[in-house]
Amino acid sequence: MVTATHTGAAPETFFLRRELVNELIQALAVDDREVIGPRVEDGTIRLGPVSSAADLPRGIGLDNAPGKARLVERGDDRLFDQPPGPDSWKRWTFPARVTQAVWTDGDGTPAIERRLENPPRHITKKAFLGVRACEIAALSVHDRVLSQGPTPDRDYAARRRDNLIVAVECAVAGGTCFCASMGTGPEVRDGFDLALSEIDDGFVVRVGSPAGAAVLEGLPVLPATDTQFEHAQASVARVREQMGIAVQTEGLPERLIAAADSPHWAEIAERCIACTNCTLVCPTCFCTSVGQRSDLDGQAASTERTWDSCFTLDFARVAGGNFRTRLSDRYRQWLTHKFGTWTTQFGSSGCVGCGRCITWCPVGIDVRESLMAVAPPVAAAVVARPVIEALPVVAPPPPARHEQHGTPPVKTTVVDTHRETHDTVTLRLRTDHQPLINGKPGQFVMPSLPAGASPAISISRFHDDGFSLTVRAAGASTTRICALERGETLTVRGPMGRGWPVEQALGRDVMVITGGIGLAPLRPLLDWLITNRERIGRIQLSYGARTPGDRLYTAELDTLLSSGVIDIAQTVDRAGPEWLGRVGVVTQVIDRIMCSCDRTTAFICGPERMMQATVDVLHERGVPDERIWVTLERHMDCGVGLCGHCQLGKFFVCKDGPVFSLAELGPAFGIEGL
Amino acid sequence: MAVTGIAPHPRPQPNPRWAAPRRPRVGVVKFSSCDGCQLTLLDMEDELLAITERFDIVEFAEATSNRSHGPFDVLLVEGSVSTADQAEEIVQLRRQATTLVSIGACATSGGIQALRNLGDDDAFRNSVYPRPEWIAALPTSKPVSDYVAVDAELYGCPISGRQLLELLTSLVVGRRPQLPDEAVCAECKRLGNTCVRVAGGVSCLGPVTRTGCGALCPSFDRGCYGCFGPREAANTVSLANWFGELGKGDAEVAREFAKFNVGAPAFRKIVERER
Amino acid sequence: MTHVAQPTETVDRTFEVGMLTRVEGEGSLTLRVHDGKVVEAHLGIFEAPRYFEHLVVGRTPDEVIDIVARICGICPVAYQMSAVHAFESLFGVEIDPAVRSLRRLFYCGEWIESHALHVYLLHAPDFLGYPSAIELARDHRAVVERALTMKRTGNKLVAMLGARPIHPLTVRVGGFSRVPARNELMAIRPALDDALETAKATVDFVRGLTAPVFEREPKLVSLRHASEYPMNDGRIVSNDGLNIPIDSWREAFEEDQVSWSNALQARTKAGEVYLLGPSARLTLNADRLHPLAAEALASLGLAEEIRRNPYWSIAARAVELVHALAEAIDIIDGYHQPDRAAAPWTARPGAAAWATEAPRGLLFHHYEVDADGLIAHAQIVPPTSQNQASIEADLTAFAPSVLGLSQAEATHQLEQLIRSYDPCISCATHFLDLRVEETDE
Repeated sequence: MVTATHTGAAPETFFLRRELVNELIQALAVDDREVIGPRVEDGTIRLGPVSSAADLPRGIGLDNAPGKARLVERGDDRLFDQPPGPDSWKRWTFPARVTQAVWTDGDGTPAIERRLENPPRHITKKAFLGVRACEIAALSVHDRVLSQGPTPDRDYAARRRDNLIVAVECAVAGGTCFCASMGTGPEVRDGFDLALSEIDDGFVVRVGSPAGAAVLEGLPVLPATDTQFEHAQASVARVREQMGIAVQTEGLPERLIAAADSPHWAEIAERCIACTNCTLVCPTCFCTSVGQRSDLDGQAASTERTWDSCFTLDFARVAGGNFRTRLSDRYRQWLTHKFGTWTTQFGSSGCVGCGRCITWCPVGIDVRESLMAVAPPVAAAVVARPVIEALPVVAPPPPARHEQHGTPPVKTTVVDTHRETHDTVTLRLRTDHQPLINGKPGQFVMPSLPAGASPAISISRFHDDGFSLTVRAAGASTTRICALERGETLTVRGPMGRGWPVEQALGRDVMVITGGIGLAPLRPLLDWLITNRERIGRIQLSYGARTPGDRLYTAELDTLLSSGVIDIAQTVDRAGPEWLGRVGVVTQVIDRIMCSCDRTTAFICGPERMMQATVDVLHERGVPDERIWVTLERHMDCGVGLCGHCQLGKFFVCKDGPVFSLAELGPAFGIEGL
Repeated sequence: MAVTGIAPHPRPQPNPRWAAPRRPRVGVVKFSSCDGCQLTLLDMEDELLAITERFDIVEFAEATSNRSHGPFDVLLVEGSVSTADQAEEIVQLRRQATTLVSIGACATSGGIQALRNLGDDDAFRNSVYPRPEWIAALPTSKPVSDYVAVDAELYGCPISGRQLLELLTSLVVGRRPQLPDEAVCAECKRLGNTCVRVAGGVSCLGPVTRTGCGALCPSFDRGCYGCFGPREAANTVSLANWFGELGKGDAEVAREFAKFNVGAPAFRKIVERER
Repeated sequence: MTHVAQPTETVDRTFEVGMLTRVEGEGSLTLRVHDGKVVEAHLGIFEAPRYFEHLVVGRTPDEVIDIVARICGICPVAYQMSAVHAFESLFGVEIDPAVRSLRRLFYCGEWIESHALHVYLLHAPDFLGYPSAIELARDHRAVVERALTMKRTGNKLVAMLGARPIHPLTVRVGGFSRVPARNELMAIRPALDDALETAKATVDFVRGLTAPVFEREPKLVSLRHASEYPMNDGRIVSNDGLNIPIDSWREAFEEDQVSWSNALQARTKAGEVYLLGPSARLTLNADRLHPLAAEALASLGLAEEIRRNPYWSIAARAVELVHALAEAIDIIDGYHQPDRAAAPWTARPGAAAWATEAPRGLLFHHYEVDADGLIAHAQIVPPTSQNQASIEADLTAFAPSVLGLSQAEATHQLEQLIRSYDPCISCATHFLDLRVEETDE
């Protein structure tokens, strides 16, 4: 169990003779605790069950180099003189495949039971033996990412707590290690129950918690002598010296963001094969995808969460496009996120300097070199890191009670369906789940049917007894949703995201600019604006569509138009003879609007290119970035900032957005392939 | 895909809400191939009877004497096109099929027999047929997509039964088939395999090969030989360059890529550059 | 139904099946009868050639093993076995006895899968009057389900050793890339026991069938071993005195091309037609059967019919199912994981030849290995190629007896005759590589 740092006094320090390692392992295994540690397996060092000292890699070293890892037989007695192998402890705390949810036949209609939020009650307690400084840092990073957000990953928390951490302070530097550069090691400072430093005839053992002390009880350990303690310190100091500083991390996040257009990305991409090895061996990567599993009829269905990687093609795919098809864009995303925007998101660098990504890259790309090539340090002088800034260790949240909060799935009933266009349907859904009824304009939900995918769809209107969704049949799953009939059930998670800042409209003129189905996320905003009409200046809706038949809510638009409550300008790209309105793109419409643009707030929704063009026009008219609001679309698998797909620079579009002001987005808006 | 921990219904009851008005008509046809991909369907023993109930298999010469020339809702095509008769037949079949799915390395890249597309006279020069006029074959072995538009492709030599089942399930259930286009490495790492290349110096095409097999070769302690073909953005040039680190000469490297998907451009490129 | 041969005097009939169904690969049947005599009986193989014997030139032995599997989707193990033993014999590689057992186990898996496929899915519908096993399953679902389960067990056995049943990937010169631990194999034991019961039930099922009466005295060829039912080892023998080493096929047989087939045919050097497969194997090796299989054969009382009537090959397959399952169980019970998965080896130049018993019969490989350890030349002779002449001879002999039937019924019986050979046509298709030496005339 990880506990808070001991402040002040040095932890108690003991000496364990080498022959007693077996006894230590037995002491760790008390009460059916599973001990996991390093072993020689498949020609390398793997983590796995350890039942005695004989299982440990005695006298074995691991020669790590870019793209190469070779076992070395030294023939001595030392047990832990190897750098980490490809495994990280996330194999146990954040496994590669977890059943996320199961569809059941709840009272006749299909219901989804979220296993992920109700993790198994009985997860075997473990003792992690041989946790290096970089790995303690990695666990701490995962704690922040997975447990500290608004929607904690309960499965992770359940697997993380109750484990004993027996750290090992490295006495050799691996060929690809750079923890010294990243400030995460080689010294083990905290985050452990016991910490072992191997010296010639045994181990200097530091106690980091009462649980650690309890393990040592009954073992014939003596207090460590000063000499022994100094040997241990000298040993790790040698490792620090051996490693040197390979990466200048001063100002690295800013350097990376400034290097967004560097030609070096393309150079590196020539070698990169986007095989995902780096991200999957990385102990801090956390991106996942959700897949559907079902039998032939979709009767027995479940969803499964699996490790994914920002290097895969589908990672940034949305209906109708893909934000990162180029290899260089994907490599840039990985590096910029890991070493840059991660800091803004989570308060530390995402990299702990373990070097696995360098060793296990099939073509030996060295991220230390990549960083220095793409984002060289600004100042010529080498900045030494005088003091190690250890990540403060944070305890995972207390055990979850089995109540639903966050975004549980909710059953809704279809009370009405209305075909808007040839491929778009508005479903009116009834529910009494208050968070959904009290949602904000601009928020979205993730609906799902058994065995189908769960797309993110904006709420298009709120009602006293539910809400509406306007859905385009863009793929197989949305086609099924569009085909629902009155009385049928649709399971929904939400509301999610940050909505439109409606208060920014008060006392100002408002421009709402959109195209095609983009009107759907804006309709609740329009509803609110109309309700609060007297507190708002001019309200202008500019609405473009490909053809007259592609417009939504045509009857309402006509009514609104004749009522004069708001000004509406519509345009289509092409039209037949029955269309008497404007033909042209929507930016031409805005151009003609008279507005006191310094007291205007703009709300925009549409394809990114359309939004970019609209923003350009608004800039010309003098509308400031703080009052231009857009809503973005990205690939989403979880909707709550855990799966990693929707990242844009430092933002998670699902929870930090999808509504953003241009001022917030800054350079993140409009860069191709970001 | 079997759902772990969930007992499937003993006799599938199709949800009437999702059932098509009639059973989809399915055809399975074969061109130049070993038959292994068709056999994959017959090898899905647990699901086979359910599939024959859910779909109306109207043409499948290996399995049934009932024949049909179409129309087909779904037509599975195995094998490469390597005779003039086949070239004509695939065009006719395309007209009869709503959804045409080419299955297997032969149908999607020409198979290993596509080696003769490289115009390598050396390999064939010394063969003298007693009666060459009795044999009718095109000089090339090409994938189905070189002759007609194809609606979906299942890769592999042979294809994966799980992927075939996913494709059929997605047609019934109504979802995008989950056939990820990612490297074998991703599957290896999820399974917890040790990389045979990095740890063992064994040549492995996994990083540029599409997953789907379940990372079988590295799971059984040998390197991937690319039978599922190159994945999207397969940077074979970079991988081939790195082969030198494993001590392989140019000719050896070319042979690695000159196998079951030699017809795929990303693999073919390496073979041709070494010639 | 049985019927008695009724030769008809003056009849001109043509029987054509453009595409034979329920056989592997693409074959056709053309039979012309003139004046009551068969003037043409052709098993037309129009399966497009893929030139495997050229594809392996310039490859290493381990690559050849991967490649030749692709000759056939139903019997890839057979191709890998004939190839790997040929190379091991040339290179002088001693394989571990446990590895040898695993190879037999591997072959058992393939025999089980292949025979189960043929007996139930391809052949049985003929006997019971169904166009396919799909219709058969509508009336006899339990029977088909059990058969599929037995077939799946065979596939699982192959997959356990070879990673997947179609185109296994673990076979290496010297052994395997990986060998299973004992407990991995023991995990499949219950399924094998269950499948053995199904195999015995298959024998009972076969006992209840009636077949057309058609008998002749074929020349039978297979491997024969000093103590085992033949799979990977032995000598090539016939029922009329042939007895040659396993690598000497070319001394007794030769291939030839015919105009109506993309597959070469084969005959003995004396020009005789001969027959391979379960019927031949069983007849020549009945004394080597596992006791349970011998019991099954005895209980059928069809040993003579199996030898003389090709339709009763279904009985031979049923007995071989019992044998393969019983032997698989014995191998697993006695298995201890070898220390290493494969023995080390070095290539030597020379001729590498071997024959093994594929489910459909003797499969012969011959390779010339050059000084660099690469293949310079290959000859691969599948069992179905060799059986073509026999099939045609049988069609010629059998046809007169069906002339009294309707066109549809006669054609059906002729097709059924072909099906009883379990032809594997994709395998059969390949070309002869002749080197013509120019001589001055």
